[in-house]
Amino acid sequence: MASMMQPQIILLKEGTDTSQGKAQLLSNINAVTAVGDVVRTTLGPRGMDKLIHDDKGSVTISNDGATIMKLLDIVHPAAKILVDIAKSQDSEVGDGTTTVVLLAAEFLKEAKPFVEDGVHSQNLIRSYRTASTLAIEKVKELAVSIEGKSVEEKKGLLAKCAATTLSSKLIGGEKEFFATMVVDAVMAIGDDDRLNLIGIKKVPGGNMRDSFLVDGVAFKKTFSYAGFEQQPKKFDNPKILLLNIELELKSEKENAEIRLSDPSQYQSIVDAEWNIIYDKLDKCVESGAKVVLSRLAIGDLATQYFADRDIFCAGRVAEQDLNRVAAAAGGTVQTSVNNIIPEARRTASIVLRGGADQFIEEAERSLHDAIMIVRRAVKNSTVVPGGGAIDMEISKYLRQHSRTIAGKSQLFINSYAKALEVIPRQLCDNAGFDATDVLNKLRQKHAMQSGEGASYGVDINTGGIADSFANFVWEPAVVKINAINAATEAACLILSVDETVKNPKSESAQGDAAAGAMGRGRGGGRGMRRR
Amino acid sequence: MALAFDEFGRPFIILREQDQKTRLRGIDAQKANIAAGKAVARILRSSLGPKGMDKMLQGPDGDVTITNDGATILEQMDVDNQIAKLMVELSRSQDYEIGDGTTGVVVMAGALLEQAERQLDRGIHPIRVAEGYEMASRVAVEHLERISQKFEFDVDNFEPLVKTCMTTLSSKIVNRCKRSLAEIAVKAVLAVADLERRDVNLDLIKVEGKVGGNLEDTELIYGILVDKDMSHPQMPKQIEDAHIAILTCPFEPPKPKTKHKVDIDTVEKFETLRKQEQQYFDEMVQKCKDVGATLVICQWGFDDEANHLLMHRNLPAVRWVGGVELELIAIATGGRIVPRFQELTPEKLGKAGMVREKSFGTTKERMLYIEHCANSKAVTIFIRGGNKMMIEETKRSIHDALCVARNLIRNKSIVYGGGAAEIACSLAVDAAADKYPGVEQYAIRAFAEALDSVPMALAENSGLQPIETLSAVKSQQLKENIPFYGIDCNDVGTNDMREQNVFETLIGKQQQILLATQVVKMILKIDDVISNSEY
Repeated sequence: MASMMQPQIILLKEGTDTSQGKAQLLSNINAVTAVGDVVRTTLGPRGMDKLIHDDKGSVTISNDGATIMKLLDIVHPAAKILVDIAKSQDSEVGDGTTTVVLLAAEFLKEAKPFVEDGVHSQNLIRSYRTASTLAIEKVKELAVSIEGKSVEEKKGLLAKCAATTLSSKLIGGEKEFFATMVVDAVMAIGDDDRLNLIGIKKVPGGNMRDSFLVDGVAFKKTFSYAGFEQQPKKFDNPKILLLNIELELKSEKENAEIRLSDPSQYQSIVDAEWNIIYDKLDKCVESGAKVVLSRLAIGDLATQYFADRDIFCAGRVAEQDLNRVAAAAGGTVQTSVNNIIPEARRTASIVLRGGADQFIEEAERSLHDAIMIVRRAVKNSTVVPGGGAIDMEISKYLRQHSRTIAGKSQLFINSYAKALEVIPRQLCDNAGFDATDVLNKLRQKHAMQSGEGASYGVDINTGGIADSFANFVWEPAVVKINAINAATEAACLILSVDETVKNPKSESAQGDAAAGAMGRGRGGGRGMRRR
Repeated sequence: MALAFDEFGRPFIILREQDQKTRLRGIDAQKANIAAGKAVARILRSSLGPKGMDKMLQGPDGDVTITNDGATILEQMDVDNQIAKLMVELSRSQDYEIGDGTTGVVVMAGALLEQAERQLDRGIHPIRVAEGYEMASRVAVEHLERISQKFEFDVDNFEPLVKTCMTTLSSKIVNRCKRSLAEIAVKAVLAVADLERRDVNLDLIKVEGKVGGNLEDTELIYGILVDKDMSHPQMPKQIEDAHIAILTCPFEPPKPKTKHKVDIDTVEKFETLRKQEQQYFDEMVQKCKDVGATLVICQWGFDDEANHLLMHRNLPAVRWVGGVELELIAIATGGRIVPRFQELTPEKLGKAGMVREKSFGTTKERMLYIEHCANSKAVTIFIRGGNKMMIEETKRSIHDALCVARNLIRNKSIVYGGGAAEIACSLAVDAAADKYPGVEQYAIRAFAEALDSVPMALAENSGLQPIETLSAVKSQQLKENIPFYGIDCNDVGTNDMREQNVFETLIGKQQQILLATQVVKMILKIDDVISNSEY
């Protein structure tokens, strides 16, 4: 810091806020911890939900870490990193978003006393990186492969994974029901990578249990004109025509103008227009299609024309749905009226029912998580025991390993190991159990030489401990690996920051308040804040 | 709302516009949410049952609705609180799926929340309460299945259906003529029902209303009623054996959709244009005549010239008929909707035995009856009543009755109303509670207690001593082990709901319990409410 005696060198624009040094690092850690505390309570089967109003007044009730982080609308620069890792976990594996935020916050919390004691943050970073590599290796080592099982057996195993994910959600009460549904849906699309082949449709009303899986495509009836009711509603093995054109009587070209000098030609113009649309419709019928779907409007004329010829039509079908129909039926979306070649592929739709809009929204998010998990499990087909068991085991392994290291690093790896215990601890806290008691029991089990206690985790039903593996609380190994990786990266990133420069222009009046608070947060370091 | 503080106790800014946001968390959040849910339930509580009271709601435009239909009340209340909105959606969901019992489901949810609050005060984890509720709801639903009875009925013997619809209607303002309305509803449903597929498309039943006359004049028309009259006053008012052309094109010279201009520079050209236009009208009318149509129903209007011509050619016509009605007419008469005169063929005409115009009272208002249609699968219920509010409420009541009849066709099982089913479930759940170890046991007992609140509200609304009545009925049920005893709301003198003929559909009751549990679980699961402080 500049000496008090020397005149200040003005380097940055007026009003720019810069904060630097150890104090800045600590303040960042505090902010991250605070954000971690927000999502903390949503972890695990006894986790609670958050109700968040956004600016527009719409409301989300969610238990999904990524969704909550997104809706919190975080502006603190360091805390924003947490939002990003939650998002990346969501897009990479789809589940474990709360876990990753919690882990990152906990790593930083453990690092805080060291920073305060004057440890150089690069030392911490290096040790954390080593620890994470070791941890991931350990996860891979402990993971159990489900490869080589029969299809039926595999389905059962996958359903277990899905059920573990769903148990923390609102639809946890029906987890077996939905887990089977999700596995069937994922199986239906086979090896295809495109996740959008599984459609989730939301229909308010009814009961959760009324939700069902459609082995094919389902979409909501679109707006229809008079005559729709007279169309047949059931077909066996129909040809489907997918269009991206309007079937409506309208002017062919915008801004075109016809000038007639001879009134007798009037009729021919009218006829020409009619002929264009009739020509299109005739081609549709000639193609032999029994179902006509279009992304654009199908007008009343066309509706009645098709009704007359026992063809079903629906206009303004959402593009996604149309693409899924195309994928399922093997057609392509036509921009002109031509025939299509039938060929069957697989797709699936899940129709969700539920009492309230928010309920279905949350159910959709939960199912999305479950689908992602099952897909990851299908691909990587290794699972680890959940319920905090794997975290305890890594923690134990790292502790043991740290004792073999001489030097400061021993302490850091030890604290990393301690941070991992946050998962079982939080599971207990959320369920209202005595966390210390359960954790000690778990430590004892995991410390057993024989290694038989390696899969013991928190038993959420009794408040004790249980073999997670035997209880089928499973999660795909890739979730844990990604979570550890992302959380470590985020922690290291925040630890490596020692200066924040805030540009005054991009911030409004509210930003000023932030800058003020931040400046003071540095512990009274003077000279840098200019007003 | 502050999330974090630095070492001097000053808050950080982490969220955007942080100081404008409020945050409620932990037990406070749950308490606040429960209070909101309970408040909604309290409003509806007095509307439950045959002696339930109505609510008067004034809309933003000053229009008044008087109803005791739960879904309608909540819809019109326009609540702002999020939890209250959940309750509104709960009621709506029951309305969409079952159509009846919209008040009951909210009262049930309110009672569950009230009981949950007590459990929370005991220090039970909210999710344990929710899980207990879920277990209990499963027990209750299974028990309902056990005590339900199957109704046998067919097209000729629809007495049981009428009885069930009467139960629904008895709580409405129209209970004065519930018998006749119930019969109308059942007949209407049976007319359009597909008994083999056990499905009813309620869209085929049109409910029309007109102010005037008496509620007793309400009738069921095996055909379509259109609130329109003949386009020309001198056209015949009654057509027997009508062949109907259903058109979606106007009786006008066709206009190209492309922008066009006709340049007329000589008198001759003008003459030809005029002639051509006249010729169009002539051709159109001729076309209709040629295919043998005796009535034209048109979605659009037509010129005075066309009108005159139609009159002249003795072809009655109706104009400005809405798309939905047009479709119903097409279905009922077996005709096809024709979009263009050139497409008109004799096969596309709809056939109806009788089309007549009927005027009402001293007013000039007339309506068009299309009866004895080729395909009688579309019917109309025509409601008369003293004022508009009455008619609107009757429409809602009829809708409920139609839904009940439809549900019975889907699933023949019924349970006994008047709170009998709830009391039976309460007993079953209470007995089952002892089998569950752990904290959930308390929640299950609480669920049983919450079930009692429905008969309790019924008794309260009927002016009976709630606790006394309930305990008497409960002990009677338990002693005789018969699940038919309910609250004697109408003071008939017996508690036996079989004798009173108070039935409800099994699926309706099951849905109520499941939906209420679902929403309560959702509310209990929230422990953090983050909102802009303006909310």
